[in-house]
Amino acid sequence: MDELEFRRRIYADPDTTDPAVLKAAENDPEKRTFRDQMRRMNNELKQAAKMPVPDDLAHKLIWQQATNDFVQQRKKHRWYTALAASVALMVGIISTLWFVQRPANIETQALAHVVHMEKELPHSAVAVDIAQINAKLASFGGHLASSIGDVEVVNFCHLETIRSLHLILNTDQGKMSVFVIPQDKAGDLPNRFGNSQFEGTGFGLQKASVLVVGAKGANLLPLTEKVKKSIQFSA
Amino acid sequence: MKEKQQRYEALVHAFHADIYRYAYYLVRDKSTAEDIVQETFLRAWRSLDALKDEKSAKAWLITIVRRENARRFEKKQLDIVEFDETTVADDTSFADSSVHHSDMQKLLAGLALEYREPLVLQLLFGYSGEEIAQQLNLNKNTVMTRLFRARNQLRDIVSKQTEVRGHRNG
Repeated sequence: MDELEFRRRIYADPDTTDPAVLKAAENDPEKRTFRDQMRRMNNELKQAAKMPVPDDLAHKLIWQQATNDFVQQRKKHRWYTALAASVALMVGIISTLWFVQRPANIETQALAHVVHMEKELPHSAVAVDIAQINAKLASFGGHLASSIGDVEVVNFCHLETIRSLHLILNTDQGKMSVFVIPQDKAGDLPNRFGNSQFEGTGFGLQKASVLVVGAKGANLLPLTEKVKKSIQFSA
Repeated sequence: MKEKQQRYEALVHAFHADIYRYAYYLVRDKSTAEDIVQETFLRAWRSLDALKDEKSAKAWLITIVRRENARRFEKKQLDIVEFDETTVADDTSFADSSVHHSDMQKLLAGLALEYREPLVLQLLFGYSGEEIAQQLNLNKNTVMTRLFRARNQLRDIVSKQTEVRGHRNG
């Protein structure tokens, strides 16, 4: 290895372990001196390169990461909170609108119930006795003083959001329904309403409103009269 | 989350000092170097899952420091005056004592970037010519030539200083 090549290699990496370079240094005292000089300088350079680092830098880096993470989480939180708030607001607006519109729909809901009445009917036709009806009617503050006919089903149901009592009766006019609705929530009920299959009548009693629904063309009057006479409200 | 935190702290402790020094020798300004290191480790936190082993983590951090430096440089658009000539040409400033660390630091910082950067990678991280070439996207011969010239320049300066000192003393 000639002098120039040797120097180039040593300059490029004084700590080289290249056997050719090491051998050349071993065989030539001048080359060895040069290499040792360069190694000394290189060690000084290495030490110089290891300049002091600010004491708290590591802590700063860890702290900065923690706070950055915290801030980002908070931002995310804010975002979620904002979304939740908007959703809550929309729910509020929609349910208010719903609430305001409710009285207009109550009889339509009653009709819908009647349409699905067939499904509701238990096929084991165990007659419902008056005690069972009264037990449920009690939550409306009323009771039946006398039978209003052959009641097949008595169930609480919801017309819109209003809990009401639905009775299904067998009459000589076919199946008929009676809905008992808390008066303060029923609003104004139409005297007559109906659709292509059913028709009904609404009226107010002392403490409840009542809808009577039967098949289209059926005479609702007998049942209506019976209901008016039989239901009594405690003072 | 806790495991990630621990890995991050281990990464900080293992590399922050040399990464800071490397950044310093790139920008030659302590507070800018610190900013770059902070930005670099913030990015490291976000990509921590990708940093598998020590070697790739080191290379990754160096890459981010370089990128961050380039970004700042572009943003500034100001031509920073290289103080190569200004400090280094002033031979007498070294003349009254032997070559101390701080002087060596100045000499090292005084090299032009193309010589300074590969040399610092070699000195700080013990990178081979091959690894430096990979890190800087250069070919190996170029790197070896630059390392050679870097030390050659340093040696010239040091021996000139010794001469000056010799004259003064004699």
